Amino acid sequence: MNSHRTVESNSRTSPLNAEVVQYAKEVVDFSSHYGSENSMSYTMWNLAGVPNVFPSSGDFTQTAVFRTYGTWWDQCPSAPVPFKRTPANFQSQDYVELAFEQQVYPTAVHVLETYHPGAVIRILACSANPYSPGPPAEVRWETLWSEKPTKVNASQARQFKPCIKQINFPTNLIRLEINSSLLDYYTELDAVVLHGMKDKPMLSLKTSLIDMNDLDEDDYEEKDDCEIDNLNKKFSSTALREGPSNGYFDKLPYELIQLILNHLTLPDLCRLAQTCKLLNQHCCDPLQYIHLNLQPYWAKLNDTSLEFLQARCTLVQWLNLSWTGNRGFISVAGFSRFLKVCGSELVRLELSCSHFLNETCLEIISEMCPNLQDLNLSSCDKLPPQAFSHIAKLCGLKRLVLYRTKVEQTALLSILNFCSDLQHLSLGSCVMIEDYDVTASMIGAKCKKLRTLDLWRCKNITESGIAELASGCPLLEELDLGWCPTLQSSTGCFARLARQLPNLQKLFLTANRSVCDTDIEELASNCTRLRQLDILGPKLCEDMWVKIKVHLVSWMLSKKAQSDKCKFMWLSFAYIKERVYFSLFPDGDPH
Amino acid sequence: MFSVLSYGRLVARAVLGGLSQTDPRAGGGGGGGGGDYGLVTAGCGFGKDFRKGLLKKGACYGDDACFVARHRSADVLGVADGVGGWRDYGVDPSQFSGTLMRTCERLVKEGRFVPSNPIGILTTSYCELLQNKVPLLGKYISHVKMTLQNTTHQSESINFRFRNIKLYHLGVLKYKRRKASGCIIGALLTLPPPCPCYSPDAADSTSFDVQLGDIILTATDGLFDNMPDYMILQELKKLKNSNYESIQQTARSIAEQAHELAYDPNYMSPFAQFACDNGLNVRGGKPDDITVLLSIVAEYTD
Repeated sequence: MNSHRTVESNSRTSPLNAEVVQYAKEVVDFSSHYGSENSMSYTMWNLAGVPNVFPSSGDFTQTAVFRTYGTWWDQCPSAPVPFKRTPANFQSQDYVELAFEQQVYPTAVHVLETYHPGAVIRILACSANPYSPGPPAEVRWETLWSEKPTKVNASQARQFKPCIKQINFPTNLIRLEINSSLLDYYTELDAVVLHGMKDKPMLSLKTSLIDMNDLDEDDYEEKDDCEIDNLNKKFSSTALREGPSNGYFDKLPYELIQLILNHLTLPDLCRLAQTCKLLNQHCCDPLQYIHLNLQPYWAKLNDTSLEFLQARCTLVQWLNLSWTGNRGFISVAGFSRFLKVCGSELVRLELSCSHFLNETCLEIISEMCPNLQDLNLSSCDKLPPQAFSHIAKLCGLKRLVLYRTKVEQTALLSILNFCSDLQHLSLGSCVMIEDYDVTASMIGAKCKKLRTLDLWRCKNITESGIAELASGCPLLEELDLGWCPTLQSSTGCFARLARQLPNLQKLFLTANRSVCDTDIEELASNCTRLRQLDILGPKLCEDMWVKIKVHLVSWMLSKKAQSDKCKFMWLSFAYIKERVYFSLFPDGDPH
Repeated sequence: MFSVLSYGRLVARAVLGGLSQTDPRAGGGGGGGGGDYGLVTAGCGFGKDFRKGLLKKGACYGDDACFVARHRSADVLGVADGVGGWRDYGVDPSQFSGTLMRTCERLVKEGRFVPSNPIGILTTSYCELLQNKVPLLGKYISHVKMTLQNTTHQSESINFRFRNIKLYHLGVLKYKRRKASGCIIGALLTLPPPCPCYSPDAADSTSFDVQLGDIILTATDGLFDNMPDYMILQELKKLKNSNYESIQQTARSIAEQAHELAYDPNYMSPFAQFACDNGLNVRGGKPDDITVLLSIVAEYTD
C-alpha cells in the first residue's frame, strides 16, 4: 500500500483542493521506547510507515511501545519527586515526533493503536519542515487536540480519531504526547495517519486567528480581572483612606502573600508581576523560583524567556528543562548565560531529551553547579561520548540518569570513581558501554551507597558482574536486569542476588529465559520487602508455571498476613503457548 | 534425521528451449543498458499433518515457512525448515521458522539490509527473534536464502546439499551476458543460542550469475526427498512463460506431486534410495512438510 495518496474531497472546499492522506515518513524524535537500539522490535521507529499489525489486536513486536506504563515506575525506589507548580493540564510523560512527506493544513490525525489504547493525550503540529535544507525562519507549535488522561476499558485495537482544531500554517511535523498512567499494560501504537489539505481551506480563516493554547488560562484571567474591577468599584464607593498602597492588601504579612503566590503556575506568576509594584516585588522574589519546572512550557521556551527569568532565578535549586530547547529554541550561549547566573545553588537538573546540549554545556554544568546532586540526561542521544567525562567533576552526585545516551566505558568508569555518593544510577540502553562486568565491579567497589540501579538491556553483563554488584552494594533496593540475555540462572547468580540483597523492593528479570523456581524460592525467603517483580519469559513447561504461580500466591498471602507494607505486587510472565499477565492485588486476589 | 556431511556437486544444467528467447535485446553490450531484472516468484506447499488440511498458516506450511520480498533492486526469498521433533517437548517449531521468515521479510521490505550480504539479513533477523517476549525455540533449522541484485559477479554455481536442504539451479547458459547475480547461503540456526548472535561460520555461501529466463527452485527437503531431479525437471519443462499464474501452477503441481509421492508406500523415493545405499531396507516416500518456491528471472515491471 502506498504511504501517500491523494483523495479528491467533495466537501465545501474548492474542487481543486485535494485531501492528502499520509502515513508518517520518519520518526524524528522520541523520549523512550521498550525495544533496544538498532532493533525493529517494540521500537519507536515502527510508528513510521504503513501499519504492520492493525486491525489485529495484541502484543506484536512490529509496533511502537514506550518504556513504561501505569504507575509502577512512580512507586518504585527510584521514582523522582515530582516538581511543584506543575500546571494541572500538563500530564505528558512521553512523546514521539513524526515527520511526514508533504506539508498540509491538517484536517484529521488518526492514531492506530493495537493494544491497550488510550494513552495519547495531546497532539501538536509544528510549522518547521524537518526536510527543509536551511534553518527554519520561525518555529511554532500548536496544540491540535488535548485531553486529560481517560481510562479506555477495552484493550483491543482501535483507530483513534480525535477532533482537531484548524491551524493557519501547513505542517508535516506532528508530535504525540502520551500519558500511560491509567493503562493496565503497555500501549502499542502501529501508525499515525495525517489527513490534510495542500492549500489552506477557506473556512478555517475565522477560527485560526485565536491562539487556543492559553485560551483556558486567558478566560480565567479575564474572570479574575472582572472580579478585581468589581471589588475596586465597591471599595472606591466607600470612604476609605486612599493612598499609594494597594488598599488593605499590603497589610498582609510578606510571607503570607508569598504563600498565596506559591500556588500559582509560572505563567500566572509572570502575569501577576505586571499588575502592580507590590505584586511585582513579590513575583520577582527569587524565593518563588526555588523549584522551577519549565518542561510544561517546552513549546514556547526560548533564549529570551531564559534571559527574562534569569534575574529571578538566583536561588533556584531544582530546575527542569526537559524537552525544551529543540529546533533552535535555546542556544548553547543562552543556556550557559542562564547557568552562570543560576547554577550556584542548583541541586537537581533535569535535561531529558534536551537536544540543544553539547559538550560545552556539560562542561559549564560541571563548573557552575558544584552542588548538583541530581542530573537527568535521559534520551540525550545527540550528546557526543566525550561530553560525559565532565560529569565526573560533580562529586556530590546522588542521582544520575543516562538512559539511552552514548556514554562510553572510560567516561562512566571515571564518573563511578569520583561520584561515590551515588544512590540512583540508570544505565538503561547505554549501548556504547563495552563491558558491563567491569562497570558492575566498579559500581560494587565504589558506589557503596547505591540504592537503585537500572541495567535494562545491558547486553553483556554476566554472573561475575552480578556477584560483585551484590556483594558491593548491599543497600540495593531496586535492580532492573530486563532483557539482559547473558545472565543464566544455572550459575546461581539470581539466588545469590536474593541472598545478598535483602532490601530489594523491585527486581526485573524480564525476558530472562533461565529463571527457575529455586530463584523464586530464594527471593521469597530472603527479600521480604519485594514489591515489584518481573519474570516475563522463562521457557518453562506448564507444570513449572503452575508451581510458580501456586508458590507466589501463597507467598503473597503470607506476606499480606505479615504486614500491610506489601501493597502491590506486579508479576508478568508468559507461557510458551499463551500469554498470561498475572497481577496480584493487595487483597490477595490473583487475576 | 540422518546425519549427512555437506558435499557439493556440479549442477546439472538443463537447456530449456522454449524460454531462451525471452530476451529481446540479444546482441547488446555486456554490462549496461536494458531494464532491471527481477524475480517472479510463486510458492506452494503442504504441511504433513493431514488433519490440518491444506490451510496454510500465514506463510507456514506445517513446520516450514517461506517468504518473498523485494526492495528496490534486490529480490530476496527464503525458506526455513522446522524440525518437528521438538513438538514432543511442547514446542511449536513452526513458530520459530514462521517468525524468522516474517522478520526477514520485514527487514527486506524496510530496506534494512545490504544486498550483497544475505548473511546479514539472517543475522539481523535472528537477533530480532530474540527480542520476542514469547520465547521461541527451535533447533537445527536449515535455511536457504537467495538474493538477486543487479550487479555482476563471477562464480560457478553449485548444487549443494546442506543438512537436508538442496537447491537446484537450472538455467540457460546460452548468452554470455551477465546482468544479475544471486547468492545463496545455507545456514543452521538454533535457539536458545549458544552465543547471542548467529555466527557466520556456520553458513555455507555461494554466488552465481543468473540470466533472463533462468529458473530457480527453492524448496525444503520435503520436496527433494520425494521427487528425483528428473521428475522435477519434467515439471519445469512445462513452464511456458514467465507470468505469475503459470509459475504458480507449476509450483503447485510440483508440490502436489511430491505430496502424493510422499505417502506412496511402494515408491522408491530419493530418501528411500539413500537409505538403501546405506544399508537400510526402506521403501516409500517420506512424509514431511513440503514448501516450494519457484522463481524466474524476468524483466522487472512494477
